Amino acid sequence: MCHSKYFEIIIFRLQVIEGSDNPLQEVVSVKGQKKDAEENIIEIKDLRKIYKVGNETVVALNNINITIKKGEICCFLGTSGSGKSTLLNMMAGLEKPTKGTIKIAGWDVEKLSEKKLALFRQNHIGFIFQSYNLMTFSNALENVAMPLIFKGMGRKKRNKAAKEMLKAVGLEDRINHRPSEMSGGQQQRVGIARAFVAKPEIVFADEPTGNLDSKTSKDVMDMIVEMATQYNQTLIIVTHDLSVSKYAHRVFHILDGDIDKIEVCS
Amino acid sequence: MKKFDLIRMALGNLWRRKVRTVLTILGVLIGTASITLMLSLGFGIDQSYRGSLERMGSLNVIQVYNYYGGGYYMEKSVSVRGSGGGGGGGDSETKKLNDATCEEIEAIPGVQAVLRMLDTSVKFGSGRYVAWGQLLGINPEAMEYFDFVVDKGRLLTENDTTAIVFGSDVPRNFYNPKDRRSNWWGYSQDTEPSVNVLKDRLIMTFDMSYGEPQHSPTEGKRPKRYHVEGVGLLSWEGSMNYSWYAIANIDYVKKIIKENERMQGNRRRNQETIYNQIKVRVEDLDEVVNVQNAIKDMGFQTYSLNDQMVEMQKTSRVIQAVLGGIGAISLLVAALGITNTMVMSIYERTKEIGIMKVLGCLLKDIKNMFLIESGLIGFIGGIVGGVFSIGASVLLNKFLAPALMGRMGYGVQVDKISIIPSWLLLAVVVFSTFVGLISGYSPARRAMKLTALTAIRTE
Ligand SMILES: Nc1ncnc2c1ncn2[C@@H]1O[C@H](COP(=O)(O)OP(=O)(O)OP(=O)(O)O)[C@@H](O)[C@H]1O
Ligand SMILES: [Mg+2]
Repeated sequence: MCHSKYFEIIIFRLQVIEGSDNPLQEVVSVKGQKKDAEENIIEIKDLRKIYKVGNETVVALNNINITIKKGEICCFLGTSGSGKSTLLNMMAGLEKPTKGTIKIAGWDVEKLSEKKLALFRQNHIGFIFQSYNLMTFSNALENVAMPLIFKGMGRKKRNKAAKEMLKAVGLEDRINHRPSEMSGGQQQRVGIARAFVAKPEIVFADEPTGNLDSKTSKDVMDMIVEMATQYNQTLIIVTHDLSVSKYAHRVFHILDGDIDKIEVCS
Repeated sequence: MKKFDLIRMALGNLWRRKVRTVLTILGVLIGTASITLMLSLGFGIDQSYRGSLERMGSLNVIQVYNYYGGGYYMEKSVSVRGSGGGGGGGDSETKKLNDATCEEIEAIPGVQAVLRMLDTSVKFGSGRYVAWGQLLGINPEAMEYFDFVVDKGRLLTENDTTAIVFGSDVPRNFYNPKDRRSNWWGYSQDTEPSVNVLKDRLIMTFDMSYGEPQHSPTEGKRPKRYHVEGVGLLSWEGSMNYSWYAIANIDYVKKIIKENERMQGNRRRNQETIYNQIKVRVEDLDEVVNVQNAIKDMGFQTYSLNDQMVEMQKTSRVIQAVLGGIGAISLLVAALGITNTMVMSIYERTKEIGIMKVLGCLLKDIKNMFLIESGLIGFIGGIVGGVFSIGASVLLNKFLAPALMGRMGYGVQVDKISIIPSWLLLAVVVFSTFVGLISGYSPARRAMKLTALTAIRTE
């Protein structure tokens, strides 16, 4: 791995984030764009996670090394308890690793403070959950607009964006419905709209079809993959469902906290 | 996150749990209303005392006495003493209440005017009628500062000599000594006085048997008769303290007293006038205590309504503190209620908060949202409590105040038992909002520290 390339990407990221008008930025960003196609958006090195429960220690992740490129659709496949969710949560900064580094979009995720983590999530990642995790007291529109509220976007602008997203997932007639007034598939589509509304570079999905029947699962997966492809977004899906893994460019088989094998699909 | 969105979300959260929110607000209402009402009762009592004292006389006036022991009877029987007979009980070192002292007192910072009072018994005559009277010599330029209010005629000026301003009760004292049916103690309030002191010719004398059928024998020469002229009549309400007096220029009174003493054979020269009492007016109410202490330090006994005021204020403060304490306790209970509500809310919203965090909500926004919720409970409780206490105050004044009339001590008139100044309402709303924020602070921090992970895991 070439270290100078890393460096350039970091500079590029930092300057984009700080929004400086430095003419140097132009040069760097041009360089960055050139390398866009092969840019490693996720780099995980020697990742290890051990849980201590009483006197027992549980090795959830043993030693993980992964690099994922921008725009890639990756799937983590494995049996229950193999450590898939743990890996995903650490990538989203929800948990700190015991050892190792996680670099996502130029941020050293494991080192970020709570405040930086919030900014990181606002600006770079979207999340789709197995159990949808919608706000029960808000309607579809408010749910989808939620990440934009946290970013401090004005009401008009965010409602427009949220409506567009709801339309894209085919729920334009459910805008004012609450989660309790929608089916599981519809709720998950609201969840998808919410994950993509801020146009994040990476979308994480933990068992997005876990609560859905096979027909609905297919619709939902089609939708997720289509959206991610449209904006060249990186998609990380965790599942134990083989049919879901068919959508991926690469499938990482996880076994007892280690990557067993990597399957590359055409 | 925009402030507006934060507030909207906070309001939404409160609205979602209407019953609990309303009950919590009710707690704050009771707390703030009791504080407001308790304090308002204190203010009402204060005001009643103050009002009553003001009716009794000016709070700015200090009375200074030349003698020890005397209470605060304004109308002490007073006689003019020579320098030798000065203040009973005072040793020769003690300062005397003479003109020099008066000037010294006038020089104390804050003193507006000094009223020198020299009084002596005289008898008035007008045609067939005579009257016993108390002649009070004062320095006319101070008159305007000491509650001399004329009903008819005018006040004295510095150039007046034989001019006399009569207290409102004096004209009724005239009686006809030769008429059995009329005598000096039998005057009635209703009948018109027999003498018009402003128009009729008047004679004044130190001869107490003047006009009486039997002349008591006198040792010296018969005291002189002076022709005097009534120029003013004081109003009763405005000048209650002077209603028995016939008031003249002090220089004139000094002159005729000396003349009389000389006639009676008292030959001591250059007798200095010693006043039994003077009054000092202080410009600023807050200065009264200082001036009073300065005069006390000179060795005189003083009295002012302010003394009484200070005592009453002390009592009133105690009452306020006790009542306010009761209110404070109920607000404290309300504060615990707010904390409890917020903690409950966190338990219910653990998952929601977790989702917010995963979606990139800043910690400070989560904290602020909780603070706004608890602050709003305090704020709304404060406002509703304020409105409630205004209503309760009106009812108290209407129904309880008349019942309390006259039970708070002699001369205390109660018209309002509860007074809520607008600053109190404002202060209470600010305070209860503050209490809300404080009560919500620890729950808000707790919400902020919840990990997003447990939120996602809970199914
Ligand atoms: N907070 C925790 N404390 C202790 N052990 C944990 C904790 N979280 C996860 N583990 C353990 O780590 C291992 C991996 O868990 P993880 O949730 O990543 O599995 P998973 O692959 O997502 O399984 P599933 O497909 O059932 O969701 C499991 O053995 C689990 O018991
Ligand atoms: Mg899992």
